[in-house]
Amino acid sequence: MMGGLRLDSRDAMLKGGKSGAAVVPGKPEQSLLIQAVAQTHARLKMPPTGKLSDEEIATLTTWVRDGAEWPAATSAAAVATVSHWAFLNLEKLDGRTIDSFVDAGLVAAGLKAAPPAGKRTLIRRASFDLTGLPPSPTEVDAFLNDSSPDAYSQLIDRLLTSPHYGERWGRYWLDLARYSDGQLGANKDTPFLNSWRYRDWVIQAFNDDMPYDQFVKAQLAGDIMPGADHDKLRPALGFHALGPQGDDRVDATTRVFLGLTVACAQCHDHKFDPIPTKDFYSLQGVFRGSEIYQHPLTDNAVVEAYSAHQKKIEDAKYELDTFVQKRSAELSESLARKTARFLVAAWKISHGMEQKDALDDETLARWVEYLKDPRKDHDLLKPYFDLKSNAPIAEVEKTAAAMEKLIAGIHEERRRMEDRNYVKMGGEKGVRNEATRQYTNLESLEIHQYYLWRDLSSEPYKKDFVDFKGGAYFYGENTIGRWLGPEWRDELNRLQTIYAEVKNSAPAQYAFVHAVREGKNPANMKVALRGDPKTPGEEAPRRFLSCLAAGDQPLFKNGSGRLELAEAIVAHPLAARVMANRIWQLHFGQGIVRTPSNFGRVGDAPSHPDLLDFLAGKFIAASWSMKSMHREIMLSNAYRRSVAMDERAAAKDPENRLLWRMNLRQRLDFEALRDSMLSVSGELDAEMGGPAAPMTDVNLRRTVYVTVARTAPDATMTLFDFPNSNITSEQRTITVGPLQRLYFMNSKFVEARAKAIVPRLIGTASGDRIKSAYQLLFSRNATPAEVRMGEEFLAQSGQAWNQYVQMLLASSEFSAEP
Amino acid sequence: MNRREVLKSLGGGFGMLGFAGMLDAASQAPHFPPKAKHVIFLYLNGGMSQVDTFDPKPELTKHHGEPMPGPKIKTDRASGNLMKSPFEFKRYGKSGLEVSEIFPKVGAKIDDFSVIRSMYTDSGNHEPSMLMMNCGHGLPGRPSMGSWLTYGLGSENRNLPGFVVLSPGLPVGGSQLWDSAFLPAEFQGVQVHNEETLPEKLVQNIRNTTLSAAEQERQLKLLEKLNRSYLSQLGNQPQLEASIQSMEVAFRMQMEAPEVLDIRKEPEHVRARYGDGSFGRGCLMALRMVEKGVRMVQVYFGNFQPWDSHDDILVHAKLAAAADAPIAALIEDLKSRGLFDSTIVLIASEFGRTPMIQNSGLEKVGNGRDHNVPGFTALAAGGGFKGGIAYGATDDFGFKAVEKRVHPHDLHATVLNQMGIDHTRLTYRYSGRDYRLTDVAGTVIRDVIS
Repeated sequence: MMGGLRLDSRDAMLKGGKSGAAVVPGKPEQSLLIQAVAQTHARLKMPPTGKLSDEEIATLTTWVRDGAEWPAATSAAAVATVSHWAFLNLEKLDGRTIDSFVDAGLVAAGLKAAPPAGKRTLIRRASFDLTGLPPSPTEVDAFLNDSSPDAYSQLIDRLLTSPHYGERWGRYWLDLARYSDGQLGANKDTPFLNSWRYRDWVIQAFNDDMPYDQFVKAQLAGDIMPGADHDKLRPALGFHALGPQGDDRVDATTRVFLGLTVACAQCHDHKFDPIPTKDFYSLQGVFRGSEIYQHPLTDNAVVEAYSAHQKKIEDAKYELDTFVQKRSAELSESLARKTARFLVAAWKISHGMEQKDALDDETLARWVEYLKDPRKDHDLLKPYFDLKSNAPIAEVEKTAAAMEKLIAGIHEERRRMEDRNYVKMGGEKGVRNEATRQYTNLESLEIHQYYLWRDLSSEPYKKDFVDFKGGAYFYGENTIGRWLGPEWRDELNRLQTIYAEVKNSAPAQYAFVHAVREGKNPANMKVALRGDPKTPGEEAPRRFLSCLAAGDQPLFKNGSGRLELAEAIVAHPLAARVMANRIWQLHFGQGIVRTPSNFGRVGDAPSHPDLLDFLAGKFIAASWSMKSMHREIMLSNAYRRSVAMDERAAAKDPENRLLWRMNLRQRLDFEALRDSMLSVSGELDAEMGGPAAPMTDVNLRRTVYVTVARTAPDATMTLFDFPNSNITSEQRTITVGPLQRLYFMNSKFVEARAKAIVPRLIGTASGDRIKSAYQLLFSRNATPAEVRMGEEFLAQSGQAWNQYVQMLLASSEFSAEP
Repeated sequence: MNRREVLKSLGGGFGMLGFAGMLDAASQAPHFPPKAKHVIFLYLNGGMSQVDTFDPKPELTKHHGEPMPGPKIKTDRASGNLMKSPFEFKRYGKSGLEVSEIFPKVGAKIDDFSVIRSMYTDSGNHEPSMLMMNCGHGLPGRPSMGSWLTYGLGSENRNLPGFVVLSPGLPVGGSQLWDSAFLPAEFQGVQVHNEETLPEKLVQNIRNTTLSAAEQERQLKLLEKLNRSYLSQLGNQPQLEASIQSMEVAFRMQMEAPEVLDIRKEPEHVRARYGDGSFGRGCLMALRMVEKGVRMVQVYFGNFQPWDSHDDILVHAKLAAAADAPIAALIEDLKSRGLFDSTIVLIASEFGRTPMIQNSGLEKVGNGRDHNVPGFTALAAGGGFKGGIAYGATDDFGFKAVEKRVHPHDLHATVLNQMGIDHTRLTYRYSGRDYRLTDVAGTVIRDVIS
């Protein structure tokens, strides 16, 4: 877009920009657009780099000649506003059932529903769906033997009260919240020490069946919700406080809670949805008016004492370092003034001559070592290296004296320069401030002189590709002691003692919550034209999205406007539609809308729009109870169908949008898969909550509690499609590939689970134990053929039970959810 | 419907994605006949200085020590006056292109390279610019070029991963750089830790350390039977066929991958030319993998950001010394093994370095250069890229690309083009939008390809 020209609607093109109409229908030769792409215009040439192909130019020319027709659907973006289905009020559909909608769809398409799933399949499906764990053989038996009509609904109720429910569904929410236990760093995360408080809050909220509207509001404005216990809700603010730094808060908020991609409007009016750029900055203003901070879970005195102590440590370290650096620099400067003697002595030693000069042994030894290889980063010692090995000693002495003059001069020069740099940075305050150091242009030695100085007097350092071991004259904190007089030595001891004392007596950091609070001066933002803050446009008052109201949205009046934003979100029918669809999606493997975080115009059209409105209406009517939603969905016949294939239905509706059968989920997601292995081996550590720990072979807790990283995510987790926690993730892709199979075949983790399962198998005869394994792992009886299959393998392999069980874990059946 | 279209039509709904592993690689067809089949992307992370390597600037030498004309330029850290390159440039080859003395062996091969001197990018920070160069977007969450290529073309050898990343540890930005993001995980780069030499340490779980091959084969036969039995109970379920097949592939992969990665299989005279650094080893492994049909191999120069010479540009000489011989050897061996014409060798950094000296108090010494966003150099050879040409130009001082500017999107578009892919048509629908590697931009640079 340049010179005010827009090319995304016909009207705009006919109107044109500063240079006139871009398109004159029927007259390509008069159309600036054609002149620009053909690059026949004197000034206008598009695209700025390269050129369209002749074919592309011809297409455009023909299009203009034919009248520049524009499809109605796309030019309507500005007009569509509130008429998009997802933005409308919910349709009232009381008195219906889920099945009435689904069955109507099937009847209309002339399809027959698959038969209901068997009870074994059903209890497995329900258990995985609600808890992420398989049922135990006892639970399976109890369900099979319960012939009462409400056996299934009681099963659902039991699963919904399990604390494992929150661990399962909380993790799905964490996908959306782009939860991580650390901030993206250069090569590793900067840990979030208290991130787990948000994770645990989410799990608890699911287990408590917190009403979804409260759940949303708490995560955006839990610190300022009227009549709420703010301390209890504050961890919820981790939704944004643990997010990536930068501008993703508008994106996450609108995608997650509203299914809208408002971030597309950061640089231009949304191409497909009626979201003007101004709306982005209206919301961005809300977040900029708030701030992320660490909220202490202790009293102020503790916090202040902690900060004061941290300051003490920094000061003590600075004092110690400064003292050592000064002494070290003084020492190397005085040693530099003995350079000639060192060089001569080193010459004598390396040439087998007697050396009697009383010089410091260690320093001399370092010189001898340094001079062994004449290849240096500088050539300033060339005169010395060029001396012939039979050179008379007087010549050596003369060259050494010249070298000393040079080296002592460089040391002096560097000292003066450092003094000037110190002043330039504004003294101690500047030196201790990283920003000042970054932005102050300092003097430094000419590079070869620097190398010579470094080789003699620099501390050791590693940087990028350089690994410097320390200069010949360099003595640091641990080695300088012997050079110091008694007073200086006492001073060094004193500073070291102080530093060690303050460091060792430092209190552990107090517990805190990664939280959000109101900023000091919330203000409206200006639209950044083309996303560039250097070209500000009109002011964008803080208020809710303009496309979601018929008239003007009211301005937010209180503070940043966070609470008003949260209230506006849950007051809009999109909030209920989006969440009802997410819950549905996780039960069926695909949503009624298959783009769960995009309900905009390019999002997927709902397969059953009425059903979605019915669910959303139910959701609100049940006081936003998520557990009620599960019950509603899971008690439907649609949910209870088997996965049986029907060729005719598959030909007509290959994607099963009409739900003629249950979708076969070919692999559990990673958490359920790993947790299930631990569960059937009897090793699962069921302890809930608390700090995260890395996923090692000895960490036997549920996967929701393992460390989630942004910079270096666990390789096994990513291999199994664990989402990238730098962005909000609307659904898991589930893949099966050979590298995943290698995990089952070769990893120590799977091998160890198999080993732990073997002693749990009941019976003495192989056949009985095989049957027991099928009960434990697959919740079913082994067929006689399967028993024989196992017996044959065990006979051949010399009773290799571990190997046998490992293959049961590796099998499709263990991973699949039919 | 080819495999890509099937995947696309499924749009990420996980009920059906099992088809992903089912359709064979041959059905992932390019859009038009490709010039190249493989990409080796040598990534000089940290930011290679253009004016000290492949973009000689006599005016910079002439004006050494003077302020750069024009308004003061804001750099990431304090920058001072113009600083000439400490290195000499020399003409090489028939083309007579000038190359810095620190790359003599690459110089000797310069007639094989397109030297793109007019690169520019968007951000002065490593991470967003690394993401741009690898994934075509400055923020995390987009698939990398290797993921797009394997998604678009599959692998020629299903017993090996299609996209392999060689890095001893992690570069800045981490594994985001080879993430498949919303593309299925099978297209994500498989990291090989090339500081290791023992094949079983190179790839996670590649070898079973408990069982003999015979034992494992017996085990897999059992597994096959278990799966068949399960499948017969469930009836016709095509998705599950996929996971059963992937087990067979896995078994073959654990045979083949260690063999390919084991550079000890190369004769000493070959290995010697690559040196014993991790980058050299990476280049040799890349050669062996491409030979076996791996679609894309990326070699990171090292962990973190080694080319980030803020305090001393002379360090570039040491860096180049570790990169020069392996790159030249790789070009030679690709040729001798008949792979050069079908393999693109791409050499790039996330950005370049300023022609001005950097002198800030964060550095040990003031002899370095800061990050340079508006102008830098990338190299491409093989796979139908023209040799011995310089494309585009920076200004007199090497600061800003002024002629025939090339954005990473354009570079990506060109690489995809050589692989037979129209970058505007390789799309994936995610969350209601068609995404592609080049976002909404990218122009194929016709002048650098034949």
